Amino acid sequence: MITVHTEFHSHFREIAATARDSFELEEPLVAELAERISARYGEKMRAMLIDPETRELNERGTMFVDTSGRRISMEDTLEDGETITFLVGIAGG
Amino acid sequence: MESRLLRVNLSTGELTGEVIPHSVFERWIGGSGINNWILWEHFLTHDINCDPRGPDNIFIFGVGPLAGSGAGSGVKGRITFKSPCYNMFGDSAGGGKFPYMVRFSGYEYIAITGRAPRPVYLHICNGEVELRDAAHLWGRDTAETHALLQQELGDYPSKAHTLTISQAGEKQVGIAGVVSDALRIHARGGGGAVLGSKNLKAIAVQGNGGIRIQRPENMLAWSDDFRQRIDGNEAVYGFKRRGTLGAVEMYQHIGSHFWRNNQGNMFRGDEIRSDNWVKKYHKYSEVCSSDCFIACDGKYKIDGSESEAAKKYAGETFRRPEYLTTGSAAGALDVRDWAEVAHWGKLTNDYGIDNQDLSCSIAFLMELRERDLISDRDVAELFGHEQTLRWGNMDDIEACVDAIVFQKNPFGELFRDGPYYGALKYSEMKGQNFMKYATYGKGGASFTEEMRPFPTWMNNMAVASRGADHLKGIGLIEKFQRKDLSKIYFDGRTEAADLSTPELKGACTALVENQVALLNSYGVCLFHWMLDPAGYTPQDYYGQAYAAATGIDYTPEELMLAGERICNLEKAFNSRVGMRREHDTVCERWMWEPNPEGMYEGKVAADMFDTVLDEYYEWRGWDRESGLQTRERLQRLGMDDVADVLAADGALI
Ligand code: SF4
Repeated sequence: MITVHTEFHSHFREIAATARDSFELEEPLVAELAERISARYGEKMRAMLIDPETRELNERGTMFVDTSGRRISMEDTLEDGETITFLVGIAGG
Repeated sequence: MESRLLRVNLSTGELTGEVIPHSVFERWIGGSGINNWILWEHFLTHDINCDPRGPDNIFIFGVGPLAGSGAGSGVKGRITFKSPCYNMFGDSAGGGKFPYMVRFSGYEYIAITGRAPRPVYLHICNGEVELRDAAHLWGRDTAETHALLQQELGDYPSKAHTLTISQAGEKQVGIAGVVSDALRIHARGGGGAVLGSKNLKAIAVQGNGGIRIQRPENMLAWSDDFRQRIDGNEAVYGFKRRGTLGAVEMYQHIGSHFWRNNQGNMFRGDEIRSDNWVKKYHKYSEVCSSDCFIACDGKYKIDGSESEAAKKYAGETFRRPEYLTTGSAAGALDVRDWAEVAHWGKLTNDYGIDNQDLSCSIAFLMELRERDLISDRDVAELFGHEQTLRWGNMDDIEACVDAIVFQKNPFGELFRDGPYYGALKYSEMKGQNFMKYATYGKGGASFTEEMRPFPTWMNNMAVASRGADHLKGIGLIEKFQRKDLSKIYFDGRTEAADLSTPELKGACTALVENQVALLNSYGVCLFHWMLDPAGYTPQDYYGQAYAAATGIDYTPEELMLAGERICNLEKAFNSRVGMRREHDTVCERWMWEPNPEGMYEGKVAADMFDTVLDEYYEWRGWDRESGLQTRERLQRLGMDDVADVLAADGALI
């Protein structure tokens, strides 16, 4: 069992109605984290996180990064105490 | 598919309608592609090295076949000209209702040459065209001009929609843009100065002519499918709420803002780092163009109670700031109050001036003063009176804006063409080299974002046909680390999404430039594509909408070749005015000064710059040494005629 912290920004924060949260995971996998977050915050969050066609993390208009700024994928492993940040991916204007 | 082109010779007053034949569409798609072709042909009979502020320059407005077609993919019109501030190819997009109202008034393209003997505006109404006196509009900003024209022209057969310049355009300030319906600016490259030099204050259109769609059933089916993709997309819903302001927190997190002339890359000030602005000021969302399924545009209203600074702007209402409005104020100039950022957006729009060039010019001077490289006396010499230059101080910032817009003093005159030429001229004037503090790429002002950790983004800045630019090659695959897209584009390879390697970065610029050229030629908004509900490959899905609108059936491969052709024509223009590999470069700060903070601290452009540039030329099929195009590649693109012109100018390998 590990604990992973999450930081939600912009639309993610609006859906979660909180800027930070923590999740206990049986397996240290991003896939489990995504499932837990979706279960806690509902369908809108699931739609932001998971691509319904590929079952991969949704890369369209989003950014999920670890503390070194690397985008994470479903198959990545997580460390106990790690923080993952959820951002929207848009530029320009 | 045929389209109508209106030619306006302001010197003679001649107004001529022409039909743009199907063959031109087959080669150049529409929108920016056809604009480029009109520009190219014009400079076959006029001196390409002419003064861009002289009568020989041409100003072209054009709108692509999907704009206003009911496709729902947004609308962008495009202006194209020889840039008066950067002295190279110039173009700029703008949204709103004006572009498709031009179509409703009877034309898709307007090409303006010569110089009117006195200020005039162009009125087009259901195919009837007239040049009218504009003495009463001269000296007014874009909001006032638009309001007066709407009042004057009435509501029949439609409200008037306008493209206007401000006092900055009248004074031929090189960084002056043109503003559509007083709301949306075509900012880049100095189109406002071109119109000002021609004594053309505005274009006003009215009409109810509609738009002919070649295969209406196919268009309806496409549009319905596109709407469903957008409606079911939660990320798009988030974008509706915030527009590009959604980037504020992401950029803060990864260190991608442009703080105090890019001495840093994170906003300071607690409130400004968050997009909670939306809750405080945002009044409602709306579409900018009526042919958009996203509707990311929004209005704010400052009631005055939000902050100490807000009191000054109580009652002000305008469009919600976009990211670059925010980046230029909260970033480049370190403005820390949202009401002031919003006001900056309105101010620069009313004055019709590029807020990227403007903020980088002001920030350059502020940094020189901050570092004591210039004294209060030097500043007084520039302004004609004592002038403080405090970061984030709106009074000081507005004094600088006024100086440039109204060409009030030596500061305004030096920086009328943006930070690169301003810094060059000021260095020369003071006998000191200040170029280290100017932020630019290829002579164009920086986009107010941190570039150094992002090799594709940096390559975009160096090679863009209109000077530093993130909207021609859009390095999003790398910035958002989209391995999925890298795999699609590059046969399963993921390096384009990997920030640690130069591999596929130049390739990515070249490929995305071709795609963006296509989208700009369709006349659609780039956000629909960026948000990717339709698969991020404009040659496939969008190609079907293009076929429905025009009746032209291209394969995706043919469309991509057309995109490449359009990019090559912009390149050819620049080669004709003498631009070579040495011009494809970026400023010293980015090249050599380590990225000072944030997640990607320590990066400099020089780490990967040359390798990426080499790869870009290789993918383009251009000569690495000189940066020039080759006959072989142009022939492959069916551009022998262009190759012949370049060869005659000694600009072809
Ligand atoms: S997405 Fe936004 S900018 Fe683009 S057409 Fe729609 S409202 Fe306008």
